Amino acid sequence: MNFIPHTKEDISKMLSVVGCSTLDELVSEFKPRLSELKIDMPLSEMELVSYITNLSEKNSQMKYFAGGGSYDHYIPSVINHLVSRGEFLTSYTPYQPEASQGVLQILYEFQSFICLLTGMDVSNASLYDGASALAEAALLSSAYTKRKDVFVDDGLNPAYLKVLQTYCDGTELTITNTIDENTACVISQTPDFYGNIKNPQGLIEKAHQYNALFINCISDPTSLAILKTPGEFGADVVVGEGQAFGIPKSFGGPYLGFIAVKQFLTKKLPGRIVGMTTDDQGNEGFVLTLQAREQFIRRERATSNITTNQTLLALTATIYLALLGKSGLQNVARASYHRAHLLHEKLRKNGFGAINTNPFYNEFIVKSPKLSEKIIADLMECNIFGGIDVGDNKLLVCCTEKNSLQDIDSYISAVSK
Amino acid sequence: MKLIFDYTQSNTKHTPSQEKDVDLPEDLKRRSLPLCDVNEIQIIRHYTELSRKNYGIDTNFYPLGSCTMKYNPRVNEDLAKLPGFSDLHPHMPASHVQGALQVIWELEENLKEITGMDAFSLQPSAGSQCELLGVMIAKKYFAEKNESRTKIIIPDSAHGTNPATAAMCKFQTVTIPTDDRGNMDIDEFKKVIGKDVAVVMITNPNTLGLYEENLSEIKDLAKENGALMYCDGANMNALLGISKPADQGFDMMHLNLHKTFSTPHGGGGPGGGALGVRSFLEDYLPVPRIKKENEQFVFDYNKEKSVGKLHSFYGNFGIIVRALSYLKSWGSDIQKVSQIAVLNANYLFSLLKEDFDVPYDRRCAHEFVISAKNFGEKSTINIAKRIIDYGFHAPTIYFPLIVKEALMIEPTETESKDTLDEFAKVLKTIIKELREDPELIKNAPHTTPGRLDEVKAARQLNLRWMPKES
Repeated sequence: MNFIPHTKEDISKMLSVVGCSTLDELVSEFKPRLSELKIDMPLSEMELVSYITNLSEKNSQMKYFAGGGSYDHYIPSVINHLVSRGEFLTSYTPYQPEASQGVLQILYEFQSFICLLTGMDVSNASLYDGASALAEAALLSSAYTKRKDVFVDDGLNPAYLKVLQTYCDGTELTITNTIDENTACVISQTPDFYGNIKNPQGLIEKAHQYNALFINCISDPTSLAILKTPGEFGADVVVGEGQAFGIPKSFGGPYLGFIAVKQFLTKKLPGRIVGMTTDDQGNEGFVLTLQAREQFIRRERATSNITTNQTLLALTATIYLALLGKSGLQNVARASYHRAHLLHEKLRKNGFGAINTNPFYNEFIVKSPKLSEKIIADLMECNIFGGIDVGDNKLLVCCTEKNSLQDIDSYISAVSK
Repeated sequence: MKLIFDYTQSNTKHTPSQEKDVDLPEDLKRRSLPLCDVNEIQIIRHYTELSRKNYGIDTNFYPLGSCTMKYNPRVNEDLAKLPGFSDLHPHMPASHVQGALQVIWELEENLKEITGMDAFSLQPSAGSQCELLGVMIAKKYFAEKNESRTKIIIPDSAHGTNPATAAMCKFQTVTIPTDDRGNMDIDEFKKVIGKDVAVVMITNPNTLGLYEENLSEIKDLAKENGALMYCDGANMNALLGISKPADQGFDMMHLNLHKTFSTPHGGGGPGGGALGVRSFLEDYLPVPRIKKENEQFVFDYNKEKSVGKLHSFYGNFGIIVRALSYLKSWGSDIQKVSQIAVLNANYLFSLLKEDFDVPYDRRCAHEFVISAKNFGEKSTINIAKRIIDYGFHAPTIYFPLIVKEALMIEPTETESKDTLDEFAKVLKTIIKELREDPELIKNAPHTTPGRLDEVKAARQLNLRWMPKES
């Protein structure tokens, strides 16, 4: 397939304007020239569709009872129709605000939604994903406190912990298991990786006693529809993964990192921030603001190196939240909660051990009476991805509003064979 | 201007009602949720209206330099949305995601061939995360060799992400000025290259749109001193199928899938990053690596030297599908992309040369930089705003920082000769307007919202909507 509009005549006319006789001559400076390129022949659109569709069909499609950082919530139809509009899809970072008011306003709405849900004062316009947002929050804490130790509470998503570790190694921060006067931040996830909903009060007090920042991490933010906000508890920074807000699971990405802070940390935020202002006629409008924090101006003194973020997914989440509204989001959260508790109850009656220490939202952990590999395989036979094997025959199971009562019955009958 | 929060309450129902409350302790429960319910048609109108206030490649020529705003083939959108990809849970075992792993593996193989690198990681979410990964790898590599290297050499024409990344990893940035041909100044480079340099980070072609003429010498000097050569591949759209960065002497390089491989920019992401390395650095790449064993694709976590993980899962997979689809469409013809990208840039450059100051008068690569300094201070911002009135998006302005009143123009290969002719004509008209009616230009744009007050935005921060009752 060929996406170039030029005719042969165009090319020869243009070459003569440039003063070259061939296309080859035009690039003669680019050395060393490669001798050959071992790449397959080009495909027509029809051949391409068939090739890629064939690959997609080599993946299994299942009923999911798994979360662990990627959640199977229902995605309303309208989202794709709106987000696919070329005006959004094919634009870029709104450097020229007059030609980008659409994206800018939606990012302002996104920032507002994130603040409303988390109970925080200020949000940026998105980061890559939950894990990197957490790492950026640790860097922000270090820059603010001028300290280098990062305390991580139990129950953080292990993949987030690994990404955090990678960032800490590269940026010379240390993950420690004590909170003291060297602690830049205290990180806690709630609901945690195992589903436990935690009351962070004690940990927040401890962090503040040593003037460290408290970072609350969230992996399924639909939980915020029913849970007390981290802002109200006294968190300084809230980060998380916004995938649950209308973004496809898509084998792990692209997802949506978010970060929100209390007022006093505004100027330490990484990435883009949209602000409302007025134009020369006094009409309200939006621009990227506080850009003096950013790499393209501040270079080696920037708050972060991030440039491209996840705007289209921030748009997706905004439209999702607008569509669901208060009652829709509460429906999703309550249904996810009740389905998970129903399945949990049924599993307990079928010999699975309950081991959550706290109340849970839509994820929980159970000890399997049989080998967990066997349970997972039995469920796969029935086209059910039944949970994440976290070792020691323990399964991390998740429900959303999409898991029907019938699916839950199929789950139970598959594991009680 | 109406925000989504300004609409009145109405009914909506995308999932079945669930009235039953949750059974949680009161101290964990939310007291109020300050959102309203808005009807679907109002939402469609609200966001459709907003889309109409936005320029995109689909609506306007978008010659934003350094961003490679080429046409985004729609078929790639359909392919990324195939249920076998979009509905795939990332915790599924390798045996059940063979197609997805093949997509990642095939893109890595193709990128290896195009760049000459020996291995790729597709975990980074964008170019700047690739840079971070590259610098982390360099840091670990030298730590293991017990070499204390504290500096990263970066030319002054570089993207801001380069020094920002070096600083994140606690390296000292050494900035090299640009010579009068637009290259990194080789004499200045010679003064600072030494055993304390970890990485020489170069964008090639550089951000002036010029091929680095001293690259071979720079590479030799870097190697003699044991430093690693890193290529910021933001400008790879000039080199596809023509020259391989590994052959140019680079040890690492990154690609921006959303630039060179045409995945949509989405208003500022999601992007996709790919970091390529030579074989001696392969073991430092993030885990899991995806391997092909006996016609099966498997995850390999067993890499002791790896810097760790950069992404919860396997990178921006949806972007990877689109990039592979784009690459398969072009296949072995891919050099045409770069040939025409370079032709378009040089053609437009030729049309504009007489009218603007040209800081470096050489044949350009896929983009070029001209200066409006002869029209007075702030003329670039005024020209940029006036361009919007004529139905084009503005070029990148005031970058690279070393060119006064810079306009950085990247037409890409997917724009026709007619579009370029028209764009040149518009710029010539604007220059005439500048002379004849400067007020008109100073107050541009006139067809969109007026010029927005960025100073006020930063001084009187308004970063969110607040509920009325509080």
